[in-house]
Amino acid sequence: MRLRPRLQKVLSDLAGNRQRSLLVLASIAVGLFAIGVITTIYVVGPDDMRSGYAATNPPNIAVQALLFDRCAPEHIAQTPGVRQVEAVRYASTRLQTGPNDWAAIDLRTAKDLANLQIGTVTVVNGKWPPGEREIVIDQYKLPDTNAEVGDMIELETPSGKTKAVRLVGVIQDLGIGAFRGAGGFFNAPIQGFVTQETLEWLEQPQPKRYNTLLLTVQGDDQDEVYLESVAQQVREELERCNVQVISVATRSSTEHPNLFLSQAILAVLLVIGLLVAFLSGFLITNTLQAIMNQQVQQIGILKTVGARRYQVMGIYLLLSLLFGALAFVIAAPLAPQVAFPVIDFLTVQMNYIFYGPRLVPEAVIAQAVLAVLLPVSAALLPVWQGANISVQEALSGLSQRNPPNQGWLDRKLSGLRRRSLLLVVSLRNTFRRKGRLLLTLVTLTLGGAVFIATFSVRVSLLDYVNQIVQYFLADVNITLDRAYRIEEIEGLIRQVPGVKQVEGWMFARTEIVLADGSVGESVSLLAPPAASPLVKPILVAGRWLQPGDRNAIALSELFKDAFPDLEVGDTLRLRVEDKETDWVVVGFFQLAGKVSGYSAYTSYEYLSELLNQPGRAVAFRVVSQSPNLNNLEQEALGQAVEAHLSRNGIRVVDMTTGKHLLKTATDGFDVLTSFLLFLAILTALTGSIGLTGAMSLNVMERTREIGILRAIGASDKALMRIVLTEGALIGMMSWVLSSLAAFPISELMSDSISQSMFGGPANFGFSPIGYVLWLVAVSALAVVASVMPARNATRLTIREVLSYE
Amino acid sequence: MDSEQARTWQVQRFAQRQRFLPSHTCQEESLIQMKEIVKVFENAAGKFTALKGVTACFDAGEFVSIVGKSGSGKSTLVNMLTGIDHPTSGSVRVGDTYIHQMSENDMSLWRGANLGIVFQFFQLVPTLTLLENVMLPMVLVERIPAAERETRAQALLEMVGLGAVAEKLPAAVSGGQQQSAAIARALANDPPILIADEPTGNLDTRSADEVFDLFTRLIEQGKTILMVTHDPQLARRTTRTLLLSDGELINPWIAAAFPEMGHSQLLWLTHQMKPAVLGRGARLSNLEMAPGLLVVSGGELVIGDARHGEREIQLEAGAFLCAEDLHTIAEQGLQVSAGAAHGCELLALDEAAFSAWLQHDRAAEAGLERCGSDFNLRWGMGV
Repeated sequence: MRLRPRLQKVLSDLAGNRQRSLLVLASIAVGLFAIGVITTIYVVGPDDMRSGYAATNPPNIAVQALLFDRCAPEHIAQTPGVRQVEAVRYASTRLQTGPNDWAAIDLRTAKDLANLQIGTVTVVNGKWPPGEREIVIDQYKLPDTNAEVGDMIELETPSGKTKAVRLVGVIQDLGIGAFRGAGGFFNAPIQGFVTQETLEWLEQPQPKRYNTLLLTVQGDDQDEVYLESVAQQVREELERCNVQVISVATRSSTEHPNLFLSQAILAVLLVIGLLVAFLSGFLITNTLQAIMNQQVQQIGILKTVGARRYQVMGIYLLLSLLFGALAFVIAAPLAPQVAFPVIDFLTVQMNYIFYGPRLVPEAVIAQAVLAVLLPVSAALLPVWQGANISVQEALSGLSQRNPPNQGWLDRKLSGLRRRSLLLVVSLRNTFRRKGRLLLTLVTLTLGGAVFIATFSVRVSLLDYVNQIVQYFLADVNITLDRAYRIEEIEGLIRQVPGVKQVEGWMFARTEIVLADGSVGESVSLLAPPAASPLVKPILVAGRWLQPGDRNAIALSELFKDAFPDLEVGDTLRLRVEDKETDWVVVGFFQLAGKVSGYSAYTSYEYLSELLNQPGRAVAFRVVSQSPNLNNLEQEALGQAVEAHLSRNGIRVVDMTTGKHLLKTATDGFDVLTSFLLFLAILTALTGSIGLTGAMSLNVMERTREIGILRAIGASDKALMRIVLTEGALIGMMSWVLSSLAAFPISELMSDSISQSMFGGPANFGFSPIGYVLWLVAVSALAVVASVMPARNATRLTIREVLSYE
Repeated sequence: MDSEQARTWQVQRFAQRQRFLPSHTCQEESLIQMKEIVKVFENAAGKFTALKGVTACFDAGEFVSIVGKSGSGKSTLVNMLTGIDHPTSGSVRVGDTYIHQMSENDMSLWRGANLGIVFQFFQLVPTLTLLENVMLPMVLVERIPAAERETRAQALLEMVGLGAVAEKLPAAVSGGQQQSAAIARALANDPPILIADEPTGNLDTRSADEVFDLFTRLIEQGKTILMVTHDPQLARRTTRTLLLSDGELINPWIAAAFPEMGHSQLLWLTHQMKPAVLGRGARLSNLEMAPGLLVVSGGELVIGDARHGEREIQLEAGAFLCAEDLHTIAEQGLQVSAGAAHGCELLALDEAAFSAWLQHDRAAEAGLERCGSDFNLRWGMGV
């Protein structure tokens, strides 16, 4: 305890300068806070996603088949490896959302909704299960229905009539999009639950029959190969019962459908977390260096009264630990206050259940370790330097180790003095302590670069969304109840005012046939005319379809993720309408990565021939004479087309605008981009406090100098000019450096996201917004950070200033 | 002591008296006027009064040293003059400007133009060369045209002997050179007043001499210099000295009368001695008290022999008589009266208080060792 009186002296010195101590504390705390927030999200998000999903007893195997009532679930349950089986009926129809507006809805029913065994749901609001002529809807796309619990909802029957059911409840179904053939969570239509009786009342054919079997397995449900083998046996068993299987898909019990998205977020979090840790390190080194500079005289006094180097070092290292501990006390409880609301916000966006705020040991440990390591390691060098200072040097304030020399810059600046000596004062001050300047710049540059980069990454994602527009160039997408002659439909649609162009597309739901002959994932196969101007693909390999191509196929990038060895020129076997056919892969295109399902394009000419429907089509793409219609205008056009076709006895089963298709395809990006914005704000906060701290300490360190200037005639204006010029100069330098550093950082972040989302590197995005915002922020912060301590300094009397230490 | 020695001693005493004599009491035309300055500092330990109602005036062209022990309040007094600090009460007028009423901002500009300040620790801007440091007040105050600033700064540095090192940074030159540069900076805007707080406190003897010689030259050029110092040698070379003790000015006549006496005794006397006035030719016996100690603070006190009218001595301001002298005077039947021309102003301590003081304060007795010698010497009785 011999150090106690000296330690007390140091502590009281620090308590005496609360502003400076608070800045140091804030600098450390903000770093710990950011790390705490990031770690909490990093740990809790995927944890809750996995455990929430697993808690619904999700299916490990989903089998889609044509309507069946044979092969009772009890029978399939006897298949080796199968634990539970549940037969489910899905029916697709439309829900009226406005006088002429419709939205697609998937109705799900089972024999006993009250006792769902597999893929259970969580009741959010109202009643469960639905009764007769009642419906319960999943919360995610509930806003699309424009309905609330208690409202009547109009559903379309296969005959084209509408029937009203009452919305009685809202649930959360974590399994939406679990099987990729459906196009993933974001592309999935509204999900509704009705009883078999309601389904019958809605005139759906054979309502007591099923078209999906959901199964869980015994044994290792994480083993993909095992799941595939059980699935294959189930398929064979079903086929033995003459059930016509359309697709079979497998999934582990913890693989939430949006886990890939959370992995993209985690990848960014990891990059930002590391950068923030670096940032904090620099910040703390910077602030502690400033403290050591101001403590030099105290060190001299301590040495005069007999303190040895290790004792001096001990005091200041203990002090940095104390700062770390205090910062931890502030940051540790604050981080969950921000992290948990963010996690809660993402639950709806990414469809998982948040199990509530709780102690996250990983976050606490990360903060605690950093609270110890960061300040101590950052303080080590300045403390070592400070402790080695001679008593004479410390007490006189005159350095003998570094005789001043005037470098190139000083000589250049001398040339400026005739024009503006005050500018020379600012410039010399800025470059006076090059080490400090470097640390300040590194800190600010990192903060700024991450801030700017998040905007660029956001833009690269948004650019990507804009590129996806190229797949949805048609204003209106019409699906008819069966195939019609293209010429006939085209002629009819062209009669609608404002229509410029009509194309008939072929569409087929197909499955991949694997090497062992088993059937894998479902693939949406689209077939526009070979030279269609309505698709402008983003090719990542190979080429697009050309007129004259026969069995050529272009695949979405998702295939690359599932089949890494699949290359351009290879042959892919697909089961199309029960027929296995070989396709030559001519190229890979980028769509919306894992957000969308497996999709492929072939030429209309070939597919229509294959399906024995030449000259006929089910799907039609309509383009307006006016370019750049908004969604409402597209809808108006679509409604006009639909009405005209109906008048002519042609039934439209689906009408979707291009803009709506784009939105559903890119919903997943919205989650990411809003999350990036949050991270940008978090980084800006860290950077801002860093900037404020560093600059304020710079000015505080020169309080004495401000006193001198006052004594020799400096007015408030002159002082502010000097301080502001210096602040602005540091701000500008850091901005330029941030702008440059933002390029590699945004590339790193974009690539991390892109690898998670698309399995490949990202397109480079550039956002002037990030640069401009950071410029504004850095300028404003430079002013605030410099003016506040400068104002305080000018308010001090010179006596106080000259005695300031 | 032979008569030659006695004469030498008398001359020294006279010289010392002269140094402490105020040239005048505060006049309206005084360049600097400080009235009833009180300065109270407050901190966690409580209140501390650094200046307790100090009144002092300074004329143009004076070279005044302000001396006192550490903590006596001399730097605080100077800070009141420079506006570096503000009095708790009282007023400070420099020329026509009441600086205690000015804001920090106005004060700064006014100070830059009218006062040159020299600090003990030089306080040069470390990042600027000596030349730039000297230019800086000119830039801040903008009184000297921009085109002349560098030439003037160079000339000032030449004047203080730093022409050759003008482009060096402060840390690259010696302490003496830094202080010379600080003086050059203080002169940058050609202010009429120079205020120096321990300007040689951080310098070796040779550098201190050089700085002092510089001050002497500046006085010859018509500047007014007020200098805080604790160095008695330097103080002796100024034209007047203010002696501060415990936040109060010691009465200059008392300080002149008892140069060997300690500051606390002098302060005690300043507090205890009462002013008295004797009209022209009035007898000392007219005083209402029986004095134990008398200090002449104005006019003359004449001691004469009624039997041998031609034999008399005149005591001028700064001379004193103690109880022993008064006893001898009475024994010899001599008369003490005010001068016929101007009368006499006195500071008097009654006999009882004087004896009690001597009994309680040994140091006081030591300070009065030569008590009676002045009178006896002059009267020719030998000591």
